[in-house]
Formats: sequence, C-alpha cells, structure tokens
Amino acid sequence: MASITAGQRDPLDNTHDVPGERAPLIIGHDYASVTDAVCGLAERTTASKAWWLAFGFSASLTGMLFAMVGYLIWTGIGVWGVNAPVGWGFAIINFVFWVGIGHAGTLISAILFLLRQNWRTSINRFAEAMTIFAVICAGLFPGIHVGRVWLAYWMFPIPNQMSMWPNFRSPLLWDVFAVSTYFTVSALFWYVGMIPDLATLRDRATGKVRQVIYGALAQGWRGSNRHWQNYERVYLILAALATPLVLSVHSVVSFDFAASIIPGWHTTIFPPYFVAGAVFCGFAMVVLLAVPVRAMFGLKSVITMRHLDNMNKIILATSLMVGYAYSVEFFVAWYSANPYEYFAFMNRAMGNYAWGYWIMVSCNVLAPQVFWFKRMRTSPIGMVIVAILVNIGMWFERFVIVVISLSRDFLPSSWGKYIPTWVDILTLIGSFGLFFTLFLLFIRFVPIVAVSEVKGVMQQPRKGREAEA
Amino acid sequence: MSSMKHDDTSVPEYWRSLDELADSDDFRTFVENEFPASADQMLTPASRRNFLKLMGASMALAGMTACRWPSEEILPFSERPEGFVPGTPRHFATAMQISGVASGVVVSSYDGRPVKIEGNELHPDSLGSTGLLAQASLLELYDPDRSDHVCRKGTDGVETSEWAAFDAFADEHFAAQAANGGRELRVLAGADGSPTLQRMRRHFAERFPAAAWVEYEAISRDNIRQGGRLAFGRDLRPHWALDHASVIVSFDDDFLAQHPNAVRYARDFVAGRKTDDDHHDAFNRLYVVEGCHTMTGSVADRRIPVDTHSIAAYVGCVAAHLFLEAGLQLPAGVGSLRQTLEGFRSHALYASIDASLIVDLMAHRGASLLAVGPGQPAEIHALVGVLNMALGNIGKTLTFTAESDANRPHHVDAIAGLVEEMQSGQVDTLVILEGNPLYDAPADLNFASALEKVGTVIRAGRYVDETSAVADWHLPLAHYLETWGDARGYRGTYSVTQPLIDPLRNGRSAIEILATLVGEATGGYDAVKSTFAQQIGDEAWRGALHDGLVRDSELATTQPGQLADGWVSSLSSFATAAEAGYRVVFLTDARVRDGRFANNGWLQEVPDSVTKLTWDNAALVGVATAKAIGVKHGQMLRVEHGGHSLELPVYILPGQAPETIGVALGYGRRHGGQIATDAGFDAYPLRTREAMAWAAVQVQPMAGSFKLATTQNHWAIDPIGTDTTEERVPILVHEIDIKDLHGGHDDHGEGGGGHGSHEVNLWQPHEYEGYKWGMTIDLNDCTGCNVCIVACQSENNIPVVGRDEVIRGREMHWIRVDRYFQGDADAPSISFQPVTCHHCENAPCEQVCPVAATVHDAEGLNVMVYNRCIGTRYCANNCPYKVRRFNYFNNHLDQSPMETMIYNPQVSKRSRGVMEKCTFCTQRIAAAKITAGNEDRKIRDGEVVPACAQACPTRAITFGDLNDEGSRVLAKQKDPRAYAMLEELNVRPRLRYLSRVRNPGHSEAGHGAGEA
Repeated sequence: MASITAGQRDPLDNTHDVPGERAPLIIGHDYASVTDAVCGLAERTTASKAWWLAFGFSASLTGMLFAMVGYLIWTGIGVWGVNAPVGWGFAIINFVFWVGIGHAGTLISAILFLLRQNWRTSINRFAEAMTIFAVICAGLFPGIHVGRVWLAYWMFPIPNQMSMWPNFRSPLLWDVFAVSTYFTVSALFWYVGMIPDLATLRDRATGKVRQVIYGALAQGWRGSNRHWQNYERVYLILAALATPLVLSVHSVVSFDFAASIIPGWHTTIFPPYFVAGAVFCGFAMVVLLAVPVRAMFGLKSVITMRHLDNMNKIILATSLMVGYAYSVEFFVAWYSANPYEYFAFMNRAMGNYAWGYWIMVSCNVLAPQVFWFKRMRTSPIGMVIVAILVNIGMWFERFVIVVISLSRDFLPSSWGKYIPTWVDILTLIGSFGLFFTLFLLFIRFVPIVAVSEVKGVMQQPRKGREAEA
Repeated sequence: MSSMKHDDTSVPEYWRSLDELADSDDFRTFVENEFPASADQMLTPASRRNFLKLMGASMALAGMTACRWPSEEILPFSERPEGFVPGTPRHFATAMQISGVASGVVVSSYDGRPVKIEGNELHPDSLGSTGLLAQASLLELYDPDRSDHVCRKGTDGVETSEWAAFDAFADEHFAAQAANGGRELRVLAGADGSPTLQRMRRHFAERFPAAAWVEYEAISRDNIRQGGRLAFGRDLRPHWALDHASVIVSFDDDFLAQHPNAVRYARDFVAGRKTDDDHHDAFNRLYVVEGCHTMTGSVADRRIPVDTHSIAAYVGCVAAHLFLEAGLQLPAGVGSLRQTLEGFRSHALYASIDASLIVDLMAHRGASLLAVGPGQPAEIHALVGVLNMALGNIGKTLTFTAESDANRPHHVDAIAGLVEEMQSGQVDTLVILEGNPLYDAPADLNFASALEKVGTVIRAGRYVDETSAVADWHLPLAHYLETWGDARGYRGTYSVTQPLIDPLRNGRSAIEILATLVGEATGGYDAVKSTFAQQIGDEAWRGALHDGLVRDSELATTQPGQLADGWVSSLSSFATAAEAGYRVVFLTDARVRDGRFANNGWLQEVPDSVTKLTWDNAALVGVATAKAIGVKHGQMLRVEHGGHSLELPVYILPGQAPETIGVALGYGRRHGGQIATDAGFDAYPLRTREAMAWAAVQVQPMAGSFKLATTQNHWAIDPIGTDTTEERVPILVHEIDIKDLHGGHDDHGEGGGGHGSHEVNLWQPHEYEGYKWGMTIDLNDCTGCNVCIVACQSENNIPVVGRDEVIRGREMHWIRVDRYFQGDADAPSISFQPVTCHHCENAPCEQVCPVAATVHDAEGLNVMVYNRCIGTRYCANNCPYKVRRFNYFNNHLDQSPMETMIYNPQVSKRSRGVMEKCTFCTQRIAAAKITAGNEDRKIRDGEVVPACAQACPTRAITFGDLNDEGSRVLAKQKDPRAYAMLEELNVRPRLRYLSRVRNPGHSEAGHGAGEA
C-alpha cells in the first residue's frame, strides 16, 4: 500500500495542482512500458499464490451460492425469511444492491467519455468489468426469487401458443427490459473497447492456445486507419446509447417501488435518488477494487492517486445527494400530511428496524464526510474503509426501503417482521463470491487497463527521446 | 383368449428379498417380529384370491359412494345407481353431537367423499350456520392419526387385534359379568344425548342391574343444573330468547363461544342489535362481567373486568343493590335472601357496581336476561335464577325444559365416586366410552393409580390417547359421518345421524359397542331405526333422513317450580372478600375444548378470537399483573397448585382482571396424535375437585422463553407502533354510538361515512353489464368467532402450515379476523374486523404482476390464475389489505391417499411458488350460473353464498350482485353505516363494511338502555 510521508512528495503523487501545468494522468510510463505493465499481467504463465488463494476462496463461495440456489429451487421460497407482509427480502435487496454497483462502470466509460474526462481511461476497463459482473450477480436474483423458477421465462415477451403476453403495466417487466438491455449494452461496450487490447495480446502471445483465443476475440484487428475510424465511431455510438441507460436502469429499478402504493415505496423522488445512490456505491466499489489491484500489480503509476482522489470526490458529492434525498423524504412525509406516509418514515427512524436506518445514515451520509479532507481522499486505507462502509450503507438503504416499508404498511393487524434465514445470508455472501471469482478471472486473463485508450491520453512521445523521458 | 394357458409352475412368484425367496426360518421369524399382525399375509404367496381381495378393497376405496343405505358391504359400480351423477355433489342432512348436544349440519359429498360441512337451515339450533367444531370435524374424518384397529394389552406391550377377537372376548366376559348382575362393572362415559344410546342404557341396566353408568365431562355445565336444582328443586335446562332481551348481563358466561347452543344464540343476540328502522328501538345492551377476555366480552357494550373468583361476590352485590336499594320485589319462597344479601353491602365490590346496570335492569323488567358462566358455583346460578324471576324474565326471555337423566350426580362427584370404588377394588371391569379421564379427570383423584386396580379396562375412543394407552382393550370409535346414530339438539330437536361413508378407520359407534356389551347383535342402523319407530314413528323416518331432523320435535317448556331457600345461607360465604393472590382460571378453548379436538390441524391453526394465538395455550395475564410478577411476553412462568406445577409461556393480554391468570385446558396432550401431542401445555394437573374453575397458585417467573405463534402482532410492538395503531383503528374500523346513529347527522366519525363520491378517475371506469359481485361485512354482527376462517379453509382446500410457519408469518387463511384493542390497557375495548380479498375494481395487485396472473373478470372479480402465476409476490406486497397468501413450500406434500380425500374437487390445489387468495368462492358462482343457465334465468339474490357467509352464525357477511336492484348486498352497501376500508387509496373495493354500533349508555343514572 502506498503511503504518504509528510514533507517529502511521493513521486507517484499527482494530486497536487500546479498552476499552469496539467497534472499527468500517467506517471513515468511510455507506450511500451504501459503495454508491458498491463499485458504482462495477463501473460504470466503462473498466477501468484495470493491470486490462487483469493480465487480458491471466492470460488468456494460461488459454489456455496449455487448450492444455496439449488436448495432453494429444490425446496421452495420458504427456505428464505420472506413472509406476509414482507414478500421481498434479501433477494430483491441484493438485486438492487448489485445493480447499483453496476452503475459506476458504464458511467465512467460512457458519460465521462462523452464529457471528455480523460482520466477515466485508467480505470474504465475494470470499472466496466465490475459493472458486468455486478449485473450478472444482480441478474441472478430476480430469476431465483420467483416461486416457480422454471417458469421465470414467462416474464419475457416470447410468442407462444397461448397468446399470453406479459403484463406491460408491471414495473417488474420494465425491470426485465431495463436490466437486460443494460447488461447487453454494457457487455458490448466493454468488449468493443477491449478489441484493440485483445489484438495486442494476440500479437504478443507466444503459445498457440493464446494466439487462437485472443485472435478470435480480436476479430482480425490490425490497427489500420479504417479500423480505428470504425472503432471510434462504434465506441462513440455505444457511449451515446449507454449514457441514457445509466440513468434509466436504476430509475426503472426504482419504479418497482415507486409505482406501487406502499407507503415508503410510493415516492416520486426515487428515480434520481436511486441513480445517485447507485453512482455512489458504484464508485465506492471501484475504489475498493482499485486500491488493492494497483498495489498488487504495480499499477500505481497507471491508476494514480489522482484517479482515486477524483473518485473520492464523486463519492463525497453523491453522498451529499443521497443525504439530501433522505432528508427530503422526511420533509415530504411531513409536508404531505398523509398519515401513512408520515408513519412509514417515522417508523424507519424509530421503529423496530431503526438500527437498520441508522446504519444506513451513518455509513452513507456521515462516513464519506471525511473526504472533505484531502488527506483522507488520498489515504488508501482510509478510502478502503469508507468504501466498505458505503457499500454496507447502500446495502442497508435497500434493506430499509424493501423490508421496513413492507413490514408495516396500512393495516396494523398485518404488520410483521422479517428475519433472514441462514440461506438468505449465505446466498448474499455467495453472491460476493461469484463477483470476486469473475473479477479474479478478469484480472488474470484480460488487460485490466484500457492500454490503447491510456496511450491516447499520454504525452506524445518525441522522436528518439522516449527512452530518456 | 382361448389360447391362454395357466401353467402353475410358470407363474412367477414375486419376492422382496433373497431371504424371502429362500423362505428361510430366519426370515419367517423376522417377519413375525416385524409385522406381528400381518405375518400371515406376508408369508402366504400371492394368490389369485388375495389379489382379488386387495383389488376389491381398492375398488371399494375408489368407488365408495354415499352410503345412505344400511347395507354393510360396498361394491364397485358396474351400473350407475339411479340419480347419481359422478362429480356432482350430493347433500345429506345429519347432525353433529358435542357433549350430548346436537346441531344440524348438511354435508356435501362428492362421489362418496364428504368434503364440506354446512349448517342445516331447518335445524332450529343451527339455522343454516355452524360452529367452529362442526366445520372442522371434517378434517378429523380423514385424520390418519385416528386409530384404525382394535388394540389389546398383551404380555409384552400393546398388540393389534381384531374386532372379532374383541367380540369373542366380550361375549364371554360380559356374560360372566351379567352372572353377578354387573356388580363389578362400571361404565364411564361422556354426556351423550342419543335416544338410542339411552335406550341401550336401559338394556344395559336390565342386563347388569348392579352396574353403574358414570357420566363425566371435564368441561361440565353441571353447575347450571345444580343451581336450578337448588333454586327450583329440579333439573332444568334454561333457554333464552336473546332477541327479546333489551338488557343482557353475562357474569363470566361466554355464551357466544361456549354455550352448546352458541350458534343459535349468536343469531338471536345480533337480532336484538339491528339498526334498520323496524328495529332500532329495541337495540339491546350487553354487560359482561368477566375476569379473562372472552368473545362475548369483546362484543359487550360494557365490559367490566372483575377477577373470576370475585364474580360470585359481584353477583351478590348486584342482587343486594336490586333487592335492597332499587326496591325489586323478592319472589316468594326466598325471604331469607334479604338477610343474606345484607352481608354483601360491606363487600369491597358493592360500591363499584355499575349504577347504570342496576338502572337498566330495573327499567327493563321482563326484557332483560342474566346469565352466569358454568364455572361459577351452583349457589350463584340459583341466585341469578331468583334474580331472573324477580325481574320478570321467566317465561319471556328465559324458559326451561326438563333435563334428561334427572338427579344424576354432578360430573365431579360422579367421577370421584367412581375412583373411590376403583381404589377399593370394587371395580373389575371399567368400560370407558369416549372421555379421556387419564388426561382430564381432576388431578387430586389420581385416576391413573385407581385404574391399575381395575381388572379389565375397555376403552372406546377415536384416538389411542392417554387413556387408551393404558387400557386392556382399545376399540376404535367411528366418526359421526361414518355410522348411524341419533341425537337431540339443545332444545331437544330429534336428529338422525346418517353415515356418508363407510368407516375409514375400521371404527364402530358407541351404540354398536354398547350393543355388544348388552349382548345384542343389532347393527347401528337397526338400533337407531327401532328407537325412532318407538319415539317418533316409522312413517316419519324418510322425512327425518331428508331433513336431518324431526320437525317440531323440540321438548316442551316447563315451569321452573317453586323457589326454595335452603341454599341461601351458603351464599354468605361469597360476601367476604376473597384472599388476595394469583389464581389460574381454567379457560375453555373454543377450538380444542377439553382436549378432544386437539389433533385437528384446522382448529390448531385457527387463531383464538382474542389472543390470536395458534398451536399453543399460554398463561394470559394483564399488563399490570405481568409487571407485578415480573414477566415479559413469551417468558416462561411456573404456576403451582396443590403440589403440582406447570411451566408455560406468558401472553400479556390487556384487559385481564388483576391477579388472574387464564390458562386454556385441552393442550399439552401426551398421547393421541402427532398434532395434539405437539401443542401447548397441560393445565389439568392443577385442576382439582375443589378447584375446577380456578385455582389459587404460587407463581414464579422462569428464565426460559417460548415463541408463541400468533397471527397478529407477530412481535412485540414498540411505542411508535402502538400509538399509530391506536390512531388508525378508528379509521379502519368504524364504530358509532347508537345515539349518534339516529341523532340526525349522518356524518359519523373521522374518515367515516365515505358514501359521498370522492373518486377521481383519469379514465372512464369499466361498466359491468352482467353480474357485478359485491360483499358487505356488518361489523355490528361480527362476534369474532372465526368460523368463517375454517369454513373457507374447508371449502377452498387451504393447507395447514404449522406452528413454525405461523411464527414466520406464513399462515394461509384467505379470510382473517383482525382484532384491535382500543383505550385503556386495563380495560380496553375490542374490535373485530374480518378481512378478505376486497376485489378492488382498481386493484393494485393486478397492475404489478409481470405475467398477468391476477386479472379482473367481466363481473368485477379479481381472479387469480394459479397456472399463470410464477410467484414474484409483488401482488402481495402491493395489496393494501394484505390478503394474499403465498405457497412458500409444497403444502400438500407427503399426504396419504386418505388425507387427500378431503379436497373439494371444485377448487384447485395450489402448488408451491404460487400466490392464492379469496375468490369470493368463484366455484360456487360458477355452479349457480350453470343451474341458472339451465333454467334460462339470472342468478337469484342469495343463490350464491360463499363458504364464509354460509357458516357465519350471525349472517354478518352478505354477498350478491350489485347490479341487482333488489339484492340485499346492494341495500347494505347503500346503508348509511357502509364504508370502504382505505377508501382514500381509490382502489374501489367491492367489499364494504358496515360500522359497528355500540350501545354503552351513560354513566349517569337515569339514562336507560334503549332510550336512544
């Protein structure tokens, strides 16, 4: 882990703004060394012990996840803690949580791309990968949370002999479209952006297997002008397509709640509030992954402290948005003079699940305030702690919304409680296993930094002087 | 075919293991050890004869038809019997007897399987409704735990046996008993009103003149009989005309739940509370003085919590007020009462007597009614008899019939006498017909040790329970739907009980068993028919079978007779204040009663009216008492009385009288089925002869706690929850004071009324052109008895989920009865509100289902398409009334073929992963449509009655077509009291409630009842 020693400027610290000078995005690299540094990671023939250890651990958790899913499908939804009135529990919380995590990637790639934020290049590849893996984790849950999993495909508008269509009025159906579209576009965007780098790997590959695989994936990329021209155009179009999706997917997810009539769900603030929350936790997850990755794989000069600093600023900003949303919800609950609405929020803060609400507030609103201090924004340990807290907080935000609202709605006779079972808890843990398994495979076999894009934002090498630079 | 050859040597023999094939001696001994009863069968190679026997049996099971015929054998149909259409229900009228009192039922039977029990409209004690137990008795018919063979105690443990073996034994044994006149023969039986059984008893007495017949019921009403005997000198059965009573006072009498005639009395009670113009002058007022919360107390206009053991004194104080101060004339014959009542003036309760009670009683002489609970001492019953007479109620609101079996000893004395004889070795043979004395006899009698001194114990019971487990012979007793029998209603209505199915568990009726005892070889049918011929006349037989009763066969009322005052002096023992200290009050549970219905899953899972507790009993204590003892909800409490102790969880129930701990009897069974033995805590060890109603106890809080399964308040409510509940209840459950109802202003209560149109629609609402189904529930009529829940469960194949799932909040009932407390925690009022699917026209559930599995039909029903449902549970989340139920597991797994016979074939069983909810009994609507369609007409009002409405004793639920101008449901929806719950959500429910009307009167004297 990098540390900052007072008085002496860390050579890798590019967080200081010097007037008249643009801070370097990449430190101390030339084109060749960047390629070497990134591709070298994917080209190692043997993985490190640490990787195997981490991979073994995550893969076991993934195995546990599938065991839990198997048990669930074999036995029934009753193995979870859901009941009447709390018909949705961990599964939906996890779904919204993972979809939220999956926001940062596309935001970084698409929106920051359109906004010409060049600093995105160092982090976009693995942020996008993270997005895809998170959406995979998320996508698992709506599938398994239905009572009859084997019929879940009925949610898709597949022409059938019964002429039965899904109910297009249902927000769950909108969800199906929103998430599947988002996943498709994100995956496409990620893959298209990776083609030049895959070609590099192909060219550098020594073994036949790698040559064939990377060759197939690179789709005959030769780096010709025409290739570059088409590539850039496609990338721009995909970015333009992905940008509204970043906003729409979590807005649509929020409609699951907002379009219902349950107090605490039926709220117009949900779409922007969900999007802000998603960006918030998505960036926290990127930070959480970036800090160890850059330390372990010697990428501190590519994913610089300035990148982390920027992301922490975004975390701080979105934290304030989320905090604002929390307070506005309370204001509106009071201002509406709707007793059910008012109670729903008072119950969050003071009811049986108040601990969940206050975990949410402290993690999401209070913890990120430390990022007002640059010292915290640039402290790897500090930011990892905050990032973890933010992810806990955001998970609890969904817990608060889903469980607390449902547990006490209109009729006091039907108020209930929700207690997760061991299956719920192990499934949640298992979903992290799946996420990290996929991520570990990614850092092992795929260029984790968009080399071609990084080169585009590096200083142009001067002829014959590169070696000395 | 002709070429088929049978070569014996080539027929393969089936074998189950190599050992069997070898037919070794080892294997023979193994089979004999493993299956002693069927060793024979298993060792005989499968023969053609055996095969045909087996096939015959399975055909019989498959094709069993409604056996109205006396014939004992059952044959498969090779020709369809006349008038029988497979798959269509046939209805048979019969009667169910509980503790000697019958109520008329009509049983629907599909292809020989009884699947639904409903009330018999012709029966005066039923009027078409049923109680909880009658509804649930169907489940017992198919209970796999019911014993299915004769057992006898052998040298090493219980062996299975055969009826033939018992018959042979009985012939010999009872002939020997008859030789000495039955001197050492005793029969212990429960109360039974069957005329045939009584006739057989006479035969029994002839054959065994020296034998004795002992009647015992753990939950006995003998104090009432005894009270009549004290006051009027004879055994009388009181009958009430509740619809004619303007002031009803119940002293610890839960007559709406516990009275043998509760179904009829509930109807009469609400008949006196009608608000339409014809009736509103006669709106009755109910006072209930009670220690523990009861259903009757919950619907009271004034509920006065008094410790159960002080209620005797309370009655004395009321009598003192009436006779000594209000100037009520003492009837002739009890002159000494005045003197005794003087003693009550100094009682602490004297000053606290509700003044309006006295004023009301004085103002409504001849139109009031005082009732005392069967747990209160006989003297108090006598005193209330005097009060009723003095108030002029006798002959008006109160009449009497003579009790049969006059002058028999009190149940407690009877069993005590029997035990004494048993202990002294005077009893050689004890026949126990039903009853379960080893479980429910007074603890101080030590029935078990007395039983060891009896030579032969023969027990007939439906289950191998505590008593059967130690008996020498256990005989399986048939269910009332399996055998011929007869019974009399509370008023004496004569019913014939006819079998709908051959005994599923190889049982015989008590009549048949008794016939064996007296050496008669008559079958149940002949015995019943000959009794009928003697008592009613043969020509009425077919009519009685059709109607399920003999019309106008109620017993004639009788004059109570002259008052006697020999008992008066013993009243003074109640005039001194009782010692302070905790008392356990033994409550009668409306579901398991004395424990005999404990193995019934429907009953175990239907919540208690007030506590909403399922699957267990608990120590019910008031808020202040719990604080004084130092126990929390769910904490274990140890109660001790007479050397016996009991540990059970505490349930804190607002409104329990101080120092009163209510514990329901009938739980904590040790034998008698899987369900029974798993439920609750046995309170009988605390119950002694001296303390049959309540016992002074020492209490001690224990460290452990227990998870109680309730269907409401699944966990302790925090302050914010409690406050909000209190704010919301008046919005959800509208209640009006009678004086406001007719006070001229029709804007009643907060959020009330709602009959103006506040609807705002962005689109043209759907027009319903054909039928437009709707429902009303009159909260004023609901007594919270829960029978609608079980009726619905039976009609709609609703599974039982068990205690753990109820704790999780996954009970499946489609209709529930919400219970809310209001007001002071020490004396709250209770409101009931049945909630079922509201069939919203603008249904929130329909919009959110991604696969359109819940949709609206053209008649406005919110229908649930089980086949289409994938189980997202979104609909349940979005339902503001929370009436949707999800199948978290396959709730129909591991059921034996017999258990599955109970299912209503008109209703789909739901698989796991599927949502379900109330359908307004759509199958009944469909059936009515077919009938109406065949007759080329529309469905008439009242032709479709959902199961809940059908069973409801008070007819609180009305269902019908809102497009029919003349329908009752439309009239009720237009009633000024009608309102929709959560109307402001604009879901436009088809179910509307009618507000409850209370008639509390005013505390200041001078405002009598009915003045409004």
